[in-house]
Amino acid sequence: MYEADSRLSEPMALRVNRVIAIAAVILLVTVVSPSQAKEFQSSWEVVESGTSEDLLTAAIFDGQVWAFGTGGVMLNSSNNGVTWEIADSPTNTDIHHSDSGFGSLLIAGDSGLMLFKQDSDSEWLDISLPLGSEVNGVSLIGGHNVVAVGDQGTIWKYDTGVWEVISLTIESDLMAVSFVDEELGIVVGSGGTILFSDDGGENWDYREAPEGASEAVIISVEFYSPTRIYAITDDGRILISMNNVVSGTEVGYLWELVDFERHYPPGSNEYLLEPATLDVELTTVEVVTTSKLLMTGVDGYLSMSVNGGTIVSQQINPLGNDTSFNDIVMLTGFIGVAVGDGGAILWTEEAGADDQVGFVVPEYNNFGVFVDETKAMFLAGFIATVKIVAFGIILGFFLGITLAMCKTSPTSLRYIVERFDHRHVRAMGIPILAGGLYQFYSGIPGTRDLGLQGIEYIFLPVGAPESFARILLGIALTFVGVLFLSNDGKFAKIKIKSFTLNPWRVRPLNTIATVYTDFFRNTPLIVQFLFIHFGVRLGALIQGPGLDIFSFENLEQNHNFLTDIFATYDHSEGNYGTLIGGMLYDSAFISAICALGFNSGAYQCETIRGAIQAIPSAQMEAGRSIGLTYLQTMRRVIMPQAIRICIPPMGNEMVNLVLNSSLAMIIGYAELTRQGKLIVASTFQYAYAWGMVLISYFVVTWTLALFLRWMEEKTRIPGLGMTGGD
Amino acid sequence: MPEKVLDIDDLHMIYAGGVHAVRGISFEVNQGESVAIIGSSGSGKSTVLRCINRLIEPTEGKIHLKGEQINTPHTDVNDLRSRIGMVFQSFELFAHLKVLENVTLGLRHVRKMSKGEAEEVALSVLERVDLLDRIGAYPGNLSGGQKQRVAIARALAMHPEVLLFDEPTSALDPELIGSVLETIKGLADEGMTMVIVTHEISFARDVADRIIYMDEGVVAEEGPSSIINNPKSERLKKFLSSLHEDEVPEQIHQDEGDSTV
Repeated sequence: MYEADSRLSEPMALRVNRVIAIAAVILLVTVVSPSQAKEFQSSWEVVESGTSEDLLTAAIFDGQVWAFGTGGVMLNSSNNGVTWEIADSPTNTDIHHSDSGFGSLLIAGDSGLMLFKQDSDSEWLDISLPLGSEVNGVSLIGGHNVVAVGDQGTIWKYDTGVWEVISLTIESDLMAVSFVDEELGIVVGSGGTILFSDDGGENWDYREAPEGASEAVIISVEFYSPTRIYAITDDGRILISMNNVVSGTEVGYLWELVDFERHYPPGSNEYLLEPATLDVELTTVEVVTTSKLLMTGVDGYLSMSVNGGTIVSQQINPLGNDTSFNDIVMLTGFIGVAVGDGGAILWTEEAGADDQVGFVVPEYNNFGVFVDETKAMFLAGFIATVKIVAFGIILGFFLGITLAMCKTSPTSLRYIVERFDHRHVRAMGIPILAGGLYQFYSGIPGTRDLGLQGIEYIFLPVGAPESFARILLGIALTFVGVLFLSNDGKFAKIKIKSFTLNPWRVRPLNTIATVYTDFFRNTPLIVQFLFIHFGVRLGALIQGPGLDIFSFENLEQNHNFLTDIFATYDHSEGNYGTLIGGMLYDSAFISAICALGFNSGAYQCETIRGAIQAIPSAQMEAGRSIGLTYLQTMRRVIMPQAIRICIPPMGNEMVNLVLNSSLAMIIGYAELTRQGKLIVASTFQYAYAWGMVLISYFVVTWTLALFLRWMEEKTRIPGLGMTGGD
Repeated sequence: MPEKVLDIDDLHMIYAGGVHAVRGISFEVNQGESVAIIGSSGSGKSTVLRCINRLIEPTEGKIHLKGEQINTPHTDVNDLRSRIGMVFQSFELFAHLKVLENVTLGLRHVRKMSKGEAEEVALSVLERVDLLDRIGAYPGNLSGGQKQRVAIARALAMHPEVLLFDEPTSALDPELIGSVLETIKGLADEGMTMVIVTHEISFARDVADRIIYMDEGVVAEEGPSSIINNPKSERLKKFLSSLHEDEVPEQIHQDEGDSTV
């Protein structure tokens, strides 16, 4: 009857408000969301070469860029590859290979053609091999000497004007040679052949190719530095060898295949995850810095990696996939040239990085670009915040309820001993008193050892926590012991003049809870974070034993979604697992939850206690009168009503917790605020970053507030408290 | 010889503040008997009642329920309370539970009945207090009389050996009292053992087999319900005559034969 009427009016208006608000948000989101169409622009520009011959190799010499190709064509550019002109060529033989360095330029072509030049104005010197020698690769050693390699394990060395054949008993075809200085050099070839020389190419040692590459044709090699060599195979794999400082192994001895993590197709963010190979016939590799490489291949393949090959991004090739590239040279870290079939030349000044997939600094003052670049970090921070908030609320709520129950429970000393005969209570007093005095005196020496004076003693709990605890416990037990000994069954008060005190009304549980809440409410949260994480190292203390329990060995066969909450492992490795997630993954995460939960628990305790006290005590009597125990009555009668009363202040408390979670950044937990700080550090867009952080927090708190309002309405019962409506 | 259900012997209660509310009360309640305790406010009536189910601990004295002393430190107080029903002046229904749940709460969590069994028992007692049509309502939506009848049903559902009423009608509007008194009367007729603290003198006279008049913490007069009409002690006479005009006095005068009405 009247219930139905009252339900219509007020909540209806509330609901309409909410619908409008939600509709506005949806509208806003849909209007805003059509994101800017992503423009993947190639950073390579097509440059006019003036020839239609296939360009097979390129080199930088004496400030000029040179390109060579079929029919003996030679091009050079004196403005870093922007414009090219055809140079006079002393040959019409196809030129396949070139090398520059040590003040010289060397080219090699069909039938043993070998030309040599020592400055750009001088003539070509002909140092050709005997006719019919098929050279697969050349390398200059110093300014005058040359090493060339060919099929059937042939190595030629040009020294002091004479060619010398170095005979090796190797069947495989040698494909490429590279020297880093006048002594250290490497030769690679088919069948996973790797040869190493440390005496300028006189003697060659056989080196073992990494597992999986022993049959591969190693097509190109670059001895980038005395500590690092990159090589590629014709089936699209990258080999790397480095100095191993730990084991003392020098470069060239240990080789490994690069594990590809991602391979981006041109102009896309959709990558192939962990491909076995790049699935392309590579032609050459150019190493720009220790970990940045560019690679070319057939069918227009052009790619770059900035992390030693694990993530490879294909470049958009403005000429399309019909043009195969044969060589690539970089003048600087950013300016470079790629040459290919049909006289194709591409030029870049952005290191071949496409927008989107490269490391070129995007224009962050464009908000769309900014959001696109940073949304992953924001999302990660958002999730991290929600995680500590959720667990913090749960921990805080349980602590709050427990503490509030402790504070309101009628467990006074009198209540505890009342049921016993007073003579027995007296008897119990003796051991309690003895224990108290023992604890007290055993705490004294540790305290004295600190050598504190006067006011400095307030820091005692820090300096000697155990002694301090013993002294406190000693005092408490001594008090209880004396009280028990004096018990005559009357529970009298102590009266000193007008001052009265009833020691029997002391409630131990209440005292402990009060000390806890007072402590956490009277110290700054940020210091609690620092103390808990760095001082007590609570996160690490929980993490260690936790990981012993949820270790990979224990979970290997029987991990499930419950254990995944605590720890998840990468099971792909088989023999051992790598911890990749779960609550125990990050000690800062555990510390953050504890700090937030402990702090919030202290405040929630007071809120819940207030609500419990707002329930008439007769409700407790009513519950007890039908035979429910104290705890049953608390659970079934008092708490359900108290929780309803404290939903609004509890909402405040939870919103506070969300906002306080931003302090977790101080202990290095990557939540929203910290992510904001990192984003600002890399983009310098203060207004965008902090604005987005603000909105993200608002989303969390507002959702929480809406949820609590809904809860409040949902759990509202007639006759309990004033609600304004209903 | 009727069985003694309650036997109270020399009960004393001194509150923490030093108030000596009950000063040596002794009385018995037999099986099937309903005893009304009357007296002016502050005379210790409610204290006696609360001592019986140990909502407060008596300072001195013995209370026996069916021959067993119940105010010892070893008594299982929860079990004891489940055997003694109590109805409060201000109902004290559980506001967050519906009528049916109010009645089944004790059955399920004290008697450990299944939900089905508990509801069966609850429905039968709710039928007895004529509230079957309101089982889905929250207490906040009930009238005062209905609330008190739910409270009675809640106590009855536990099948108590004795039922205590602590001024069950004082918080009710006069027009709502009727239904509650009717219910209690019905219980008395069915032979429920009851102790009723009340201000309704006429009701006490109608329902109670025996009336105890308390004054300043002691039993000032005790006897069958007819003592209302023929008070022997001066104190009871004074108490009765001090009551409001529309209550008992007129009947007293009538019975005494010198009505002025």
